[in-house]
Amino acid sequence: MGEAILQMKGISKFFGDMAANDNVNFSLEKGTVHGLLGENGAGKTTLMNVLFGLLKPDGGTIFIEGNPVTIHSPAQAMELGIGMVHQHFMLVPTMTVTENVMLGLHLPKFPLLNPSLVKQRINELSQQFALDVDPDALISQLSVGQQQRVEIITALYHETTILILDEPTAVLTPDEAKELFVILRTLKAHGTSVVLISHKLEEIIAIADEVTVLRNGELVGFTKIDKEVTRKEDLSAMMVGREVSFDFKKQKGTSMHEVLSVRELCVNNERGVQALDHMTFTVRRGEILAIAGVDGNGQKELCEVLTGLRQPGSGAITLNGNDITQASPKQINELNVAYVPEDRQKSGLIMDWDISKNLVLKNFRKKPFTKGLFLSKKEMDEAAEQAVEAFKIKTDQVSTLVKNLSGGNQQKVILARELATDPDLLIVSHPTRGLDIGAMEYVRSILIAKRNAGVGVLLVSADLEEIFQTADRILVIYNGRVMGIVNPDVGIQKVGQMMAGITTGEAHA
Amino acid sequence: MRNLVIKQARLGIQNLLPSLISVLLACVVTTFILLLGGYSPVAAFTNLFAGAFGNPYRLSETFVKAIPIAVIALGTSVAFRAQLWNIGGNSQYTVGAIVAVAVNIYLDLPPLLLFLLSFLAALLAGLLFGSLLGLMKAKLNANEVITTLMFDYIVAFLLSWLVYGPMMDPEGGGFPQTALIPDAVMFHKLLAGTRLHTGLFVALVLVILLYLFWKTPQGLTINMVGHSKSVAKASGINVSKTIVFTMALSAAFAALAGWIDALGIHGRLQDNLPGTLGSVAIVVALLGRLHPIGIAFSAIFFSALMVGGNTMQRFAGIPFSLVTIIQGLVIIFVICGSVFEIAHSRKQGGSHDA
Amino acid sequence: MTLDFIISLLGGTLRTSTPILLAALGQIYTQKSGILDLSVEGTMTVSCLAAFVAAFYSQSLFIGMLVAVVVGLMYSALMAFLCITIKANQVIAGTALTMLGTGLASFMYRVIFGIRELPPVIKSCQNLDFGFLSRIPIIGPILFTHNITIYIALGLVVVTWFVMNKTVFGLEVHAVGEYPRAADSKGIKVSVIRYASVLLGGMYSGLAGASMSLGFMNTYTDHMIAGRGFIAIAVVVFARWSPVKALGAALLFGGANTLQMRMQSIGVDIPNQLLQALPYILTVIVLLGVSKHVNFPAAFGVPYSRKDN
Repeated sequence: MGEAILQMKGISKFFGDMAANDNVNFSLEKGTVHGLLGENGAGKTTLMNVLFGLLKPDGGTIFIEGNPVTIHSPAQAMELGIGMVHQHFMLVPTMTVTENVMLGLHLPKFPLLNPSLVKQRINELSQQFALDVDPDALISQLSVGQQQRVEIITALYHETTILILDEPTAVLTPDEAKELFVILRTLKAHGTSVVLISHKLEEIIAIADEVTVLRNGELVGFTKIDKEVTRKEDLSAMMVGREVSFDFKKQKGTSMHEVLSVRELCVNNERGVQALDHMTFTVRRGEILAIAGVDGNGQKELCEVLTGLRQPGSGAITLNGNDITQASPKQINELNVAYVPEDRQKSGLIMDWDISKNLVLKNFRKKPFTKGLFLSKKEMDEAAEQAVEAFKIKTDQVSTLVKNLSGGNQQKVILARELATDPDLLIVSHPTRGLDIGAMEYVRSILIAKRNAGVGVLLVSADLEEIFQTADRILVIYNGRVMGIVNPDVGIQKVGQMMAGITTGEAHA
Repeated sequence: MRNLVIKQARLGIQNLLPSLISVLLACVVTTFILLLGGYSPVAAFTNLFAGAFGNPYRLSETFVKAIPIAVIALGTSVAFRAQLWNIGGNSQYTVGAIVAVAVNIYLDLPPLLLFLLSFLAALLAGLLFGSLLGLMKAKLNANEVITTLMFDYIVAFLLSWLVYGPMMDPEGGGFPQTALIPDAVMFHKLLAGTRLHTGLFVALVLVILLYLFWKTPQGLTINMVGHSKSVAKASGINVSKTIVFTMALSAAFAALAGWIDALGIHGRLQDNLPGTLGSVAIVVALLGRLHPIGIAFSAIFFSALMVGGNTMQRFAGIPFSLVTIIQGLVIIFVICGSVFEIAHSRKQGGSHDA
Repeated sequence: MTLDFIISLLGGTLRTSTPILLAALGQIYTQKSGILDLSVEGTMTVSCLAAFVAAFYSQSLFIGMLVAVVVGLMYSALMAFLCITIKANQVIAGTALTMLGTGLASFMYRVIFGIRELPPVIKSCQNLDFGFLSRIPIIGPILFTHNITIYIALGLVVVTWFVMNKTVFGLEVHAVGEYPRAADSKGIKVSVIRYASVLLGGMYSGLAGASMSLGFMNTYTDHMIAGRGFIAIAVVVFARWSPVKALGAALLFGGANTLQMRMQSIGVDIPNQLLQALPYILTVIVLLGVSKHVNFPAAFGVPYSRKDN
């Protein structure tokens, strides 16, 4: 240790007026795991994309083993021994493991593929690092954890000396994450240097040797990790910059009136695989029921079924006593169900339209927005002015296109639209993902306010902090099954275990 | 296809400008092509202009031709706004014409009734044909580009078969054409000595109707489906139904164009009735920025090119294909222009999430 | 129906399929890389003329074909520029280039040859002499009595299969059409691969155009391509981007057309327009049958930009 294999000095990157990285320094020592810590949007991924040649920095210099380099492309980064495992895997699902590894090998002066040679090497690497990867498997048939190992093998194949992992545990169960850490230690022992992008304090302390903390695009801290000494609270303070308020004042929910009732619900996903397995739960008036789980355990399908976007296989869904099992999105919409989808830019908003039109996507056919045969722009704009004020949407005018709003303000537009009709049931999916802290707290406060006003809220989230801040009851989902429904006072540990599929026969709350 | 390069803009001077620049650039390139071919650009353009506007008759011809082009293009624009690439204006026009003529030559009814009945029949045929195309897209996921294209050929052969076979005028001396529609049913001539007919007003009404349609909720729905199917779905819109409706509406316009032409100028069916109207309509819709009023003006412009092109070929000996070249070039510059616009607007006010 | 009739039908099928097959093979690269290239029709028209002009003046069929390939490449470079560099809508760009191409070809023909009583002709590709092979009963006249373009097309089936399945380039084309971001992250230049695919498609289209004016006919006329470029696109979808299946599909389409011509010539009383429409109807039926199940390349028709998420 002690020898810096990589140094980044004074890196700046601007998107429009916003500084994603502002004069950031970063130094990686050989054979270490270096945590890169920060909230969503702190600039971690931007910094690493600069290193990997995906983004061109607006300022700063990169040194590899002391030599200044400019990296224009991923190909060049790979030649320099840099490998990256992206958060969204960069694997072609219709190809085999071997074919994916062969992609971009850049060996061939001779342009023919040599699968058997590659296969052999994959098997060697797989054994050496205990990765357990079948070179002939089709990517689309592998689990998320296996796909991640394919990514690591690809990097190793390229003789990577600097391996960047972008939020590698975000999609893994705790057990899979532990396996990953074993792999990382093996890599370290073989002299590979690892950058671990994360916003999870525990894992940084568990695996990293050093940590660099970013906040709002700026470097706010660097420290060596000592498992005995380093405290989560210190890192957290650096990362967040202020105390996280865990206390939203909540009124005690008293109603026992069921808004939504789901019985024995089974659903298949696009590939015909069972995504929901006999799910049963209820949402009451004036409560927040959180669906906690690692991404990809059926949450997406659940939201789609509840909003009529997907056909259930079997089971029954009732809303205020009405059977909506086979209802269309329109019918469900008319039964006062509001929905804030996970991917707000693709499913929630029309980015090329202005705020006022986006606010009436669901009710522009009704009065007062349609008068007689025609739409009334005046009414739409007036309603929009009110919504902009009520939800504190930062904009000069309601004719601003939503693509020109920040993520937080886009989310506010969706909330304003969905809450405009006084819903009985509010379904929100990852409502604060990618938002800044201010917007995050605002969104959570709205959820609480609606709960207090008697709305039944179904909150799908992978963010335990969010869940414990807001939820009255927590339903843990694993592999499309209900692992249990618990009160928040069981503690984060317990819920975390359940998310990993560990059953302990927990009684229903 | 995700990116719609055409922006659906309100008409204003700043929105008119890109279209004008596209036309201008196309003319510049055409000039080079003419010089390359050894023709005089001056002769070409003056003949084009004179051929289209030079005397009352030619001017009237420009309007006569503009009618079907505009009406088909209105239909094209409806589909394009929903990001449905209906490029089969020809077949839909032909279907309208066939039905219109069939009603008129086979039914023995008072002229007014025939007129109305043929209108309804053409409208219905267009709606049905379009629904069929829409269903293929919505239910079977058949690429509409390919299906509409193939139907252009299929319907062209159908027309050919009809005029050589079952619908051939028995007293026509074996010419491949049908009997004539009774004179009393035909659109009246507007000006003596020209072919300009009252169908012009029908076209104008259609322009206004479509203009108003875009201000209705159903119009907004079509635009919404064009921008984002997933948002439309989540907002409770039945996307499949909208696709079928959009294609039906789109084809209905083209079929009505066929009806107008049948009762306005042709009076009968002949082989290869639509010529290149369908592809010209695509250019017109794009140059008109998918806006009904823009389409009306760009239809007149392209009609002038085509009418003028004939004169140019006759008097200056410059091949008519020059007009096709100009059409192709105009779309290419429209494409380049809209990309430039988008890049420009991004620079002015885009924000990114890190 | 006699044996002679069937032999001549099958032989004819091979001939009529050739231009479609050539264009379709090229479009396998293009579509696999994620681009729907409707300009094929225009590219074929332009190269069809280019081949004829070059062969007419050089008196060499080889030069004619070579020029057609080069012109096909250059013309499809326009398509590549519009769709990849400018990220234009592919349907619109393709339509524009097909219009421009048919206009240009017709215009240039008039410029070069003027108006003549009799159209200019060349001595077109002669049937190759396979000696005893062509005298084998049945098989000989079906397989071994054709001109070079047919054998080039058959050879290219193998070449295309090999390139798509056994070379690095083929793998990269697949990746770029399926998941361009992944390809990009692995250091593959998405736009370079897409350019290469469109240009390759253009070269094949060039050959396809040449096979019309130099192989199938001995002259050039407007509307000679008559939708063959568009049929080629349908053939590719039908064949699910497999070169071998594309051969089968092209034969099917060519066969329908040949049957129509043969039946007309022996006076079978079926309206010839309906027979002529047959391949087009077939295309629609095939498209309806397969579209639900065919997995188009995931990034089909979508321009790639690093910025979009």
